[in-house]
Amino acid sequence: MNKLIPCRACQTRDDRNHDVAVPPEPLGYIHKRPVKGFDQLQSRAGDSVTQSFQLAGRASPRPSGLKRFLAKAECPSLQALTTAALLLPGLIASPVYAAEGDEVDFQYGHYQETKRNIYGLATDPVTGVDSVSKLKNGLNPIEVDSLHGSAKIALSDRVKFAFNYLQDTWGGATPVSSAPAAWGVNQPLLSQIDQTVAGATPWLQGTTKSGRAAVDGQGRPLVVNSNTNPESAATWAYTPNNQLTDILASASPETRNQGDFKLAYEWDQAAISAGAGISSERDYESRFGNIGGLWNFNQKHTTLNLGLSYTNSNTHAVLNHDSYPYIDSTAYRDNGQIQTNADRAGANILYGNRQDWGTNFGITQIVNKDALVSGDISFTRSTGYLANPYKAVNVLFVDPVAQADNPPNVFTGELKALLEKRPDQRNQFNVGGRYVQFINPINAALHFDYHFSSDDWGIQGHTFEADWAQPVGNGWVVTPRIRYYSQNTANFYTPYLVNNQAYSTTSSVIDPVRGQAYKDASGQVFFEDPTAAITAVTTTITQELLLDENGIPVFDANGNPVFIDVTTTTPILDANGQPTYTDKSGNPIPVDPATGFAVVDANGKIVTDANIINGLTAKTQTKPFDPGKLPANYSSDERLAGFGALSGGVTISKQFAKGLSLETGFEYYTHQASLKIGGGSANSFNNFDSWNVNAALKVNMEALSLARSTGDNVHAGHEHHHGAHEPAGVMYGHMLPKAGDMMVGYRYMYGSQSGDTLHNSRKVYDPDIVANGCGPNPCFIKAGNMSMNMHMLDLMYAPTDWLTLMLMPQFVSMSMTMDALAGAPSAPTFQEIGMLEHHLQNGHQSGGIGDLGMYALFKLFDNGTHHVHVTTGISAPTGAVDLKLNRNHQLDGGFMDYGMQLGSGTWDFKPSLTYTGQWQQFSWGAQSSGTVRMENRNQSGYALGDLFQTTAWGSYNFTNWLAGSLRGLYTAQGAIKGQYNGFINKFGPMDYPANYGGNYWDIGFGLSAMVPSGDWAGNRVSVEWLQPVLDNVNGYQLQRDGSLSATWSVAF
Amino acid sequence: MRITVKKNLFKSSILAGISLGLCLAGCSTVKPWERGTLAKPQMALDAYPLQSGLRAHNYASREAGSGSNAAQGGGCGCN
Repeated sequence: MNKLIPCRACQTRDDRNHDVAVPPEPLGYIHKRPVKGFDQLQSRAGDSVTQSFQLAGRASPRPSGLKRFLAKAECPSLQALTTAALLLPGLIASPVYAAEGDEVDFQYGHYQETKRNIYGLATDPVTGVDSVSKLKNGLNPIEVDSLHGSAKIALSDRVKFAFNYLQDTWGGATPVSSAPAAWGVNQPLLSQIDQTVAGATPWLQGTTKSGRAAVDGQGRPLVVNSNTNPESAATWAYTPNNQLTDILASASPETRNQGDFKLAYEWDQAAISAGAGISSERDYESRFGNIGGLWNFNQKHTTLNLGLSYTNSNTHAVLNHDSYPYIDSTAYRDNGQIQTNADRAGANILYGNRQDWGTNFGITQIVNKDALVSGDISFTRSTGYLANPYKAVNVLFVDPVAQADNPPNVFTGELKALLEKRPDQRNQFNVGGRYVQFINPINAALHFDYHFSSDDWGIQGHTFEADWAQPVGNGWVVTPRIRYYSQNTANFYTPYLVNNQAYSTTSSVIDPVRGQAYKDASGQVFFEDPTAAITAVTTTITQELLLDENGIPVFDANGNPVFIDVTTTTPILDANGQPTYTDKSGNPIPVDPATGFAVVDANGKIVTDANIINGLTAKTQTKPFDPGKLPANYSSDERLAGFGALSGGVTISKQFAKGLSLETGFEYYTHQASLKIGGGSANSFNNFDSWNVNAALKVNMEALSLARSTGDNVHAGHEHHHGAHEPAGVMYGHMLPKAGDMMVGYRYMYGSQSGDTLHNSRKVYDPDIVANGCGPNPCFIKAGNMSMNMHMLDLMYAPTDWLTLMLMPQFVSMSMTMDALAGAPSAPTFQEIGMLEHHLQNGHQSGGIGDLGMYALFKLFDNGTHHVHVTTGISAPTGAVDLKLNRNHQLDGGFMDYGMQLGSGTWDFKPSLTYTGQWQQFSWGAQSSGTVRMENRNQSGYALGDLFQTTAWGSYNFTNWLAGSLRGLYTAQGAIKGQYNGFINKFGPMDYPANYGGNYWDIGFGLSAMVPSGDWAGNRVSVEWLQPVLDNVNGYQLQRDGSLSATWSVAF
Repeated sequence: MRITVKKNLFKSSILAGISLGLCLAGCSTVKPWERGTLAKPQMALDAYPLQSGLRAHNYASREAGSGSNAAQGGGCGCN
């Protein structure tokens, strides 16, 4: 989406047709032209002969051809991207997609933050005095793994199509709110295993020895200490301390998927485009559409572009079950945004909708033959729910009438965390420009970029960016880059709030006529004179979990459930089901048969004379705080605070011949309050650093095609008619035909499991799973549905005719939902009950880099009809096997189950033997393959079972470009050996190593298509659906639905 | 607040207009055959669009002024 279309004015259609020897090349792709003496020229002039065949300024090493080419030159300004489009992918319509140069790209990126400084109260072991200290931060910071695949295809000369697929998986800790450290919002956390300090536990409501959070008359936070030993609440010492701290919360891994496309129509001087896409994650979904236009004029010195976009996004965030007692979401409950969903184990879900309209206008201008400049302005209007459902603001509620015990100038209160509130609209504009200057003597280009943004939340931002693109010969370009960003504070940002009212007030319900009101044990109110009350005959329950009005357990500041330790009484019912009452002497009191309660006279007096109030409790009502006394909007999100950020990095790219190029980049980023323009803000507690790396592979189809047509790849034609490729689900099924061949492929696999749980090959029901699925323990939950996505790059190279080398990096993501098991016992501890509920409400997701496969394929026999090769391979344990769930309900999340880990964790040996044959329109093959774990245990203490597969297939070419296949597959895999060497919550069958592996029979139905001619000649796309026929699983496992394989490959 | 935005917008539009005007006056005519340098890949306004997209997403997830996070799915995801 980032490049604009080429302008075509200088090139007529006839020109293009004649221009066979030098077809148009994409922007940004240097192509080594196969001319005589190329090597010599290259060594002399480096990049100057590795030409860009970009339509603009197509230079030729052949002087005779120079004029001819240059006469058709087109303006580079049209390759512009608007910076706004860059900043707002999807939102602002990047004007038109540049489909010049059909292209397939893959990119992997990794983002990671450094650990933040966390402060809290620590107790001096000698003096017992609490003071503000830096605490050990045991939470891993957020990391993100991203995968991006895209393709640009010219559907015709004038119609271009592009699509993108993106996937991000992230996990780790980020701030949920912030507060003064003096209030005990972070406390040292002891490890469950050896009771050493493992990190800091966040305490949103604060936890101090005095039970108080205090401020002085200037609003300065106070550390409260006892003056006496042993401690006594009688005297407290107050020490001001202004240190603020983040309160971090850790999240289990989550995945986002995005797909979008753009369609463009081009004229000679103009183009229009339209695009749309969708981004989906567990708790947020965006749909967007955009239109754009572009117009060249002034002899292509100037390009204008316009874009308009619309985005509609829905939040449906499951509020952390564990956070209910700590985070007050009353505001959203009151306005109806929070609803309880019975289908998701009673989860409370916050719903919100936002809409964004964006528009931008950009202009690109050629300044002279060595410089160009662009400018853009954009405006975005956002309305609806613009807040983040996981961010809270700490509020100290200081009750003015409860300060009597405090010394002068000291105010204590109740610390609470409220879900943040933001305005329901935001208008933001962004204006800026970019300047590009060629540095002639060293063939480099300097880019300078400045953007200013301003919105009605009071945030103004400045971005300065510069890079230096330096070609260094042989297709290498090194680009160092620096960036500085500064923003000021949003007008509703606050690190915490102090509010002058009680969080809640509890008082007795008073009957205005008859004085104090009482209720009996069954909760009925007696409007009665206390001196004339009665007692009910009751049974006594000694302890009961205290529930609030929504039926949710109430927790104390330590996160423990509150039990009512008063004797709660219930009336004993008589034979008619009515309560029975006695007077002081134990004599029965008559009850009203209609109401079941004791009878009162016309004056409200009990008929029987008894002066007992025992067994009656005062009825109280709780009045919440008045939200009107809080600011209308408040947020402690660090992104709304004032800060500056400095980052720098380098990008290295290498252009290979034949349209293949690689690029990789690294960047380090530091977020510092002190870097803010105009002096530091007070928010240095938010400081953090991050770094990111990325690597991309790009395949340009026109360059490939050109390489073939110029004879650079003499045997390329062989590929086009090589109709005997194996079905999509077969790996290492073919070799490259000739020495020097390369292949780039992409392989996608999707697997799904849902429905019945199997034991061996038999369907089992919940009671069986509860009793037998979890070894010696009962099962509490089972897997509901599971899905797995694998994206693999398939890179092949043949150094000789009889050997093909293959490299296969993988990107994996998985998700699983869980269901409660009918008849399961209650979990033994309250924490586990809470954790189970968390599992049921949230499900599990994981994703990231998988194992790296490296293979060598040796040709044993090939007579044109029959072909046999043997493959030896190694799989390196690059995929994580130590993914853990976040801590919840005071319980470590522990390892995710074995199936959710991204790799095997062991070095694996992967041999296979493949036979293929081909006769006329028929082809067939068979393969046996295995995976042998070369280690008994991985770093997490277990090893996946060895795997053996054997398969046979037949295929028929319906046409010269389409073939269908039928395949049978048998798989045998052993159970997991060993088990996790760390903590895991064993809740369901998937948490036990015995419930992995089995014997499986499948039938595969496949289609394979190959492009016979044109720029995309030799591109092959295959799909195959594997339908399970029979499962015979080890232990208790979820039944398989089937799996889909799709591959794309191109050889050159 | 709204007024400030409008004022800024207005000022910026003027600035953009002026700079364009200056350029139209000051920019030299570059004939098609003189555009070889401008066509070099390093002279592209964005030579690494894939990577730029990734970085823009990172920035937008951490900064309030570098672009709305709408349509990037980042609303909640960008914890």
